[in-house]
Order: sequence, then structure tokens, then C-alpha cells
Amino acid sequence: MSASIAALALQKVFLDEGRGEVRAVDGVDFECHPGEIFGLLGANGAGKTTTLRMLSTILQPTAGSATVMGHDVVTAPEMVRRHLGFYSASTALYPRLTARETIEFFARVNGYPAGRLAARVDDLVERFGIGPFAKARVDKLSSGMKQKVSIARTVAHDPPVLIFDEPTVGLDVINALDMQGVIAEFRAEGKAIVFSTHIMSEAERLCDRIAIIHNGRILACDTLAALRQATGHRYLEDIFVHFVRPDQAPPAAGGRS
Amino acid sequence: MTLDAAVVRTLVGHELRMLVRDRRTVLLSVVLPLLLMPLMMFGSQAMERSRLQRLQTAEYSFVVTGPAAEAVRPIIDRTLARLRQDLARDTSALRVTQTVSADPIGALKRGEVDFVVEAATAADVPVVTIVKRGDTERSSRSASRWREALRETRREDRARLLADAGLPVSVTDVAIVKDASVATEGQVAGLTLGRLLTMMLLMFLLTGGSSMATDSLAGEKERGTLETLLTTAAGRTEIVTAKLLAVVIVALTTTLIQVGNLLVYVGFKIIPAGAGFSAAIHPAATALVLVLFLPLAALAASGLLLVSGHARTYKEAQFLFLPVFLCGMVPSLAAFLPGLTLRSAIVAVPVANVAVAVKEILTGRFDWPMLAVVFVVNAAAAAWLVRLTVRALSTERLIAPTATDNVAALGGAPLFSRHVFGWFAALWAVLIVTSSYLGEAHVRVQVSFNLLVLFAGTVALILFRYRLAPRDALALCPVKPAVWLAVLIGAPAGLLTGIGVFRLAAFVFPVSPRMLEAFSKALLPADFPLWQAVVFVAVLPGIVEELLFRGVFLHGLVRRFHPIAAVAAVGVMFGLMHVSLFRLVPTGYLGMLLAGVTLVTGSVFPAMLWHFLNNLLGVSSSALDIPWGSFGPDVYGAAVAALALAGWILWRNRTPYPGLRW
Repeated sequence: MSASIAALALQKVFLDEGRGEVRAVDGVDFECHPGEIFGLLGANGAGKTTTLRMLSTILQPTAGSATVMGHDVVTAPEMVRRHLGFYSASTALYPRLTARETIEFFARVNGYPAGRLAARVDDLVERFGIGPFAKARVDKLSSGMKQKVSIARTVAHDPPVLIFDEPTVGLDVINALDMQGVIAEFRAEGKAIVFSTHIMSEAERLCDRIAIIHNGRILACDTLAALRQATGHRYLEDIFVHFVRPDQAPPAAGGRS
Repeated sequence: MTLDAAVVRTLVGHELRMLVRDRRTVLLSVVLPLLLMPLMMFGSQAMERSRLQRLQTAEYSFVVTGPAAEAVRPIIDRTLARLRQDLARDTSALRVTQTVSADPIGALKRGEVDFVVEAATAADVPVVTIVKRGDTERSSRSASRWREALRETRREDRARLLADAGLPVSVTDVAIVKDASVATEGQVAGLTLGRLLTMMLLMFLLTGGSSMATDSLAGEKERGTLETLLTTAAGRTEIVTAKLLAVVIVALTTTLIQVGNLLVYVGFKIIPAGAGFSAAIHPAATALVLVLFLPLAALAASGLLLVSGHARTYKEAQFLFLPVFLCGMVPSLAAFLPGLTLRSAIVAVPVANVAVAVKEILTGRFDWPMLAVVFVVNAAAAAWLVRLTVRALSTERLIAPTATDNVAALGGAPLFSRHVFGWFAALWAVLIVTSSYLGEAHVRVQVSFNLLVLFAGTVALILFRYRLAPRDALALCPVKPAVWLAVLIGAPAGLLTGIGVFRLAAFVFPVSPRMLEAFSKALLPADFPLWQAVVFVAVLPGIVEELLFRGVFLHGLVRRFHPIAAVAAVGVMFGLMHVSLFRLVPTGYLGMLLAGVTLVTGSVFPAMLWHFLNNLLGVSSSALDIPWGSFGPDVYGAAVAALALAGWILWRNRTPYPGLRW
């Protein structure tokens, strides 16, 4: 089966005058398949956001390549974005649109067929419980409501690939759990999902495969079970430290458990 | 890339919907000017009327003083009597009374009287001086009207004297001078209107479009919605096109509302229009003017969007609007230049050409081919700005919030590369100021001060301030031996080609031979021994100017710009540093050559030798009478070939310049 997302030796070098070359992402390879949640686990500044921004064509890779549904991020960025929903804490909503208009606008601009547009918006409004505030302007909504609208606009055009860049940052426990539930639902629908986080429990609970990313490089990439076996640690935290700071890792075989 | 019309339509609708929902913007850009504009005009008209009224009906007072006061009393009395008679017929005549004061000038200063008539005697003739307070309108107005009245009295006196002496002067003896114009009243009004129209409409377009433009790119960045928009299927060109259309629609709408609003007020005679105003507005001419304003509106909108795209926040965008305003408004003043027609270079200047075209159209001249050029030039300029805006949306520094740089915090070399132009500007200013003081000093003093104090001091300051490593910053690196051969060939060839370039440039900016002669005299006074000339004109500049321009400045610029842009910038700075305008071209050319040599060889030393040889040959031209400036084209052709050879040798033996990326 061909991968929905494939990154090959993806590299991003910022030429920040003076610091010279900053290798934010330095040769990242991975694939993500339909019905799979692929987790990028790393500390702040590890290169998660830069990787995901390259996949969503906001940034251009310095070297290497990536495809989304077979479309190259450099040569066919419009086609890539058409098949992709991108959610991050920094993608805000238009404050002067209503919740319903927001979903409609994003479905339309992403090329959702005009004939089925109204039905699609109705579906999303119902599915995410937006009904009660569908006609309220976004700037009047609470953060929990905004989050629902944000998710709805991300999937408005029913894309086969979803990218979530630290979606639970700044959310309270309930909202974060809701978010995780929604992401799991999308997996059940057969979407290919890339998900980045620095929260270990979230990765443990949600991801089918986890890539540990540090200083722009993927140090390990496998299922949680395989990672446990390979390192001899039970907790993802220990596994993470094992790869990132080999000298500080607790002794293997159970460790603190 | 093709534009998806459906996507653009969706985006334009989206922009306009958000605009309409932003009550503050609507209020500020439409409603407020709609009310304010006529109010302002009405108010200023009313104030002007009441001011004139007040000045007309006021009672003025004056004092007669001076040693000849008694002698002039009759003429003053006659004038007062005549003014009283006038007042009976015409209420606008001057109302004035004479008073007395012990301290007339003091009274004038205190505002107790409006003017003082000082009568003195010079060569037996009484001389009357009317003293006024130039800083009050009341005093100056009344004083000048009183002066007219006095002169009138004197004319009457003279006519009576002549008549009494048997020499009657009748009005018909004096030829009457009249002027006539072949232009219609409409054309005259059209000239007045045509001069102002572009400027006024451009102002409406820029003010009307600015809030929308700020909101739609800088505002989106600030609110974080731009990133959301950039991850949709809409392309960057589609996004910018849609935003441009939205800004154009808003700018045109507000402009039309403003103009319509004005016309309504003129129509109701609330604001008085000049004579022939309605004749100037011919339907065909109006339509043509509107057609020309379309690309102008697109240009204004794209300029505003470009600025908005380069700003990261709303505030930054507002900051940048002032320069856009000035850049837009200044060319529109071209309509005020006398004698300027479209059949000149002005036709290639956006905005300015519209201003001139509109003036011509409104005065009844239709130069169709040139009008077509005007349309195309402005449309092309707008398209170019749109492309730049699309590029700004692909510039990662400007769109991705986390990719922002922390260069200022880092300091050092990266910070310096941003400050290069600032350092240059400061140095240039100091140089200009000091050179005006040192102008009379001996060339030895001038050169020593400029090079050893200013330039070397700047190099040292920059190295110290930014903690730059001298070896890297000044490119103090060894080179391959073949490079020296190339420099020996290249320097004379460079000088000759430079003179060639200068002679070509002289077709554009003619320089009189006398200026050239005066200049070479100033540089090389007769009492200047040859060895001193070599030291002060060739050796010192060769070392110090290279350390500054091809050393630190070039080092700073290549970190930030493409090598070609850096070379060009160094050349322009080097040319400007030689202060006089006619040396700009040859020294700029030399500066670019030397910067190129430094980048290719990775070292400042070849440029030093080249510069030294160049100046040495220049000195020799006056000392040894070598006629560098009067060779034929064959010699310049050979020089170009030799320069190419030197370039080839340098390229074959190139060594990387520190920190350069091609």
C-alpha cells in the first residue's frame, strides 16, 4: 500500500545571518499510511513544527523531498494542500466570521464541490456540537468552542491527510481529552494522521508509531511496543531520555517501574 | 501558474465581508471622510468669508510722526477726505482715523494703532514711510490699503498740477494694455483642475485603501489567520490577487463616494466652484480620465499591499505607510511642472505620467499613443508590485512567526550586516560636513584627515563595536601568484574602460572641460612633489579605502545580499563617497570592479594593489602628460579585452571569500 505521506531525507536549513546555518530539520525520513496516527515526539525546538510546516507547504525544504497523496510539496503545493488539513495552535480563525461561515469558507476555498457544500457544513456543525453557537461570531466564542470550530474547519473539505501540530497546547484536561478522542475518530475513518507533541502520555495513548525527534534528526521510529523492547524501558519518558540523553538514562530493564 | 477564478471569487467575497463587518474601518474610511470633507471645506470657506468681512468693515487708526509731519499733513488730510467720500458710495472702502500718540512705534507694537506714517525729509523732499506690524494681518492689510490711497491722492495732485500748468492729461493719451487668451474658459479651469485632480484622487485612493490593505495582510499576520489561509488550497498568487481586487474595490468605492460627495456639494452651491468648472468636465474626457485612474488605483492598492505584506504587525504596517504616501504623492506633483508634456521621459514614470496625462486631457489635448503608454506603464508597475507581494508571502521570515530572527540579540557580525548602510550614511554626512570646512586646506591635510581619521577610524570602530575578527572582516587572506599578474593587467585596463564609461556617461550628464581641469588642479597642486603625490593619492587610498569598502562594508553586505547586489552596493557607496557628482560614475565603476576582485580572490590585497596602480596611473597622467582621456575607440576596445583577460585569470585562480554563498 502506498503511503499517504512520505518524507525522504527532508532537510530545512535556516540561513540565519551570523549563526550561519541552523539545521532545524536534518534528514528526516518517515511514512504515514491511511488509518494510522504517526507521532512526532520531541522537545521544544527539536524540529517538529518545521517538519510539519514543510509538509503543509508553508515552508520550503532546503533538501530532500516529501509527498502528500503522491503530490510533491515543492512542485505541486496546491494539490498537496487540497488533500490536507492542517491544525496547529498558531492557525487562528477569522474573528469576524460566524462559526458556520468559517466552516463554509474553508470548505469552499479548498475546493469542496459547491453542490454538496451546505450538507457538508450541516454535518460538521452537528458532529462537533457547534449547533448552539453556529451563528455567533468567532470572537465571541470561548476557547473550547473555538477549538471545535478549528477542528471542523481543518476537516471541512474532508481531506485524506491530517496534520496536527501540538494540538493540545494550552488546552485544559477535558478539552485535551476531547481533542485526543476526535483524532482517534479520524483514524477510525481511515485518515492518515501526523501528530506532534512533547507530552509523553499523549503519544503513548494515541500514536500507532512514534518517531523521537531531536536536533532535527529522527533518533528512533517504531511502535511503542518495539521501542520498549529495543530499549528495555517501560515508560515512554525513559525511552525518550534513552535516545536523547544516553548518558542520563536510568538503567534499562524496567528502570523505575 | 493559472488563477482559479472560483477561488479568487471566494476570497474576494471573504475579504469584503470581513471589511463590512469591521465597523471601525468602515467608519474611518467611508463615513468619517464623507462627513468631514464637506464640513472642512464648508468651514474653511465660511471662516475665510467672515475674516474678509471683518477686515473690510474694521476701523483702523494711525499716527503721523517724524520731522516732516507738518509738511505731509495736507496730503494726508486730502486722502482722509477722499476716503470719507468713497465710503459714502462703497461700504468696502477703507475706514481709517488719525490719532495722536507720544510713542507711535510703541503704540504700534502694543497694537493700539494699526500703522504709523513716518515723514522724514531727504534732499528737500518729504519721504513718507508707512510702518506696519508684518506679523498681524490687520496691520499689514490696512497699511497697504492706506499706501494705495496715498498714491491715488498723489496721482490726482499731479494731474491737477499738470492741468494748472496748461498740460492737461486725458485718459485717452495713455495706451490701454489688455490681455487675451485663445483658450476657452473650460480649458483654463481644466488646467487648474487637471493639476490638482491626480493628487487629490491619489490621496483618496491611498487613504481609502490603506486601512483595508493593512487589515488584510499585516492584520491577518497579527491575528494568526494568515498561516491558516496559507495551508488552504488557495495559492499565494490567488490570495494576493484577491486581496488586491478587494483593496482596489474599496479604494475606488471610497474615492467615488468622496468625489460624488464633493460634486453634490458643488451642485448645491454649498461649496463654490471656480468659473468654467462645469465646462471642464466633459463626459468623454471624464471617461478617459477614469480609464487612466484604473491602473493608478491598482498601483496604489498594490503599493499598500506590498507594505502590508512586509510588515509583521499592524503597527509596523502603519509605520511604513508614510513613505508609501510620499512616494505616491510626490510624482503626482509633475502636473505642476510648467511645459512638461507626455512626449518626454515623464511618460515612463508611473503616477507622474498620469498626472501629466490628466492635465493634458482636461485642457483638451488627446495624445492617444502616449496615453496608451501611460496606461501600460502603470499597469505593469502594479503587476510588478503584486509579484513582489506574492514573494513577500513566500518569504519565510515574514510569514512564519517562529522563524523570526533574533539577530539583534545575537549582535556581532549579523547585526553589523544590517547596519552597513547606516554606518555609510553617517560617515558620508560627516565627510560632507568636514569637507566644507577643509575645502581650503591643502590636499595633504584633506587626504590625511579623510583617510587616516575618518575612514581608518570607522574601520576600527566597526571592528571594535561588533567584535569582528579582522582577518575575516577585512579579508586579509593570501592569494595565488597568478592573481598578481591579473591585477597588473587589469588595473590599467580598468582605468581605461572606466574613462570610456565616463565618456559614455558624459553624453547623459555633460561635464564641462573647465570643471575637469579645475578638479585635477585641486587634486594635484603645482607645489606637490611627485613622491608626496604618490603617497597621498595612490598609496594611502589604496590601503585605507580598501580596508573600509572592500574590507568591512563588503564583508557586511555579502552576509545579507546576493554577491552581485553586494558588489553593486559597494560600488554605489564608493562612488557617493567621492562627493562630487561627475566622479560618481567612474569611481562607482572602479568600486564595483574592486569589490568583484575581492569576492573572486577572497582577499582584499589584490584590490589594494589594483587601487594603488589605478590612482598611480591617474597621477601620472598629469605629471607625465599621458592623455588618458583622449584615446580613440580602438584603445578602449583593447582595454576591454585586457580587462576580460584579467577577469578570466582571476576566475581561474579564485579562492573562496569568507562566508560567501554564491
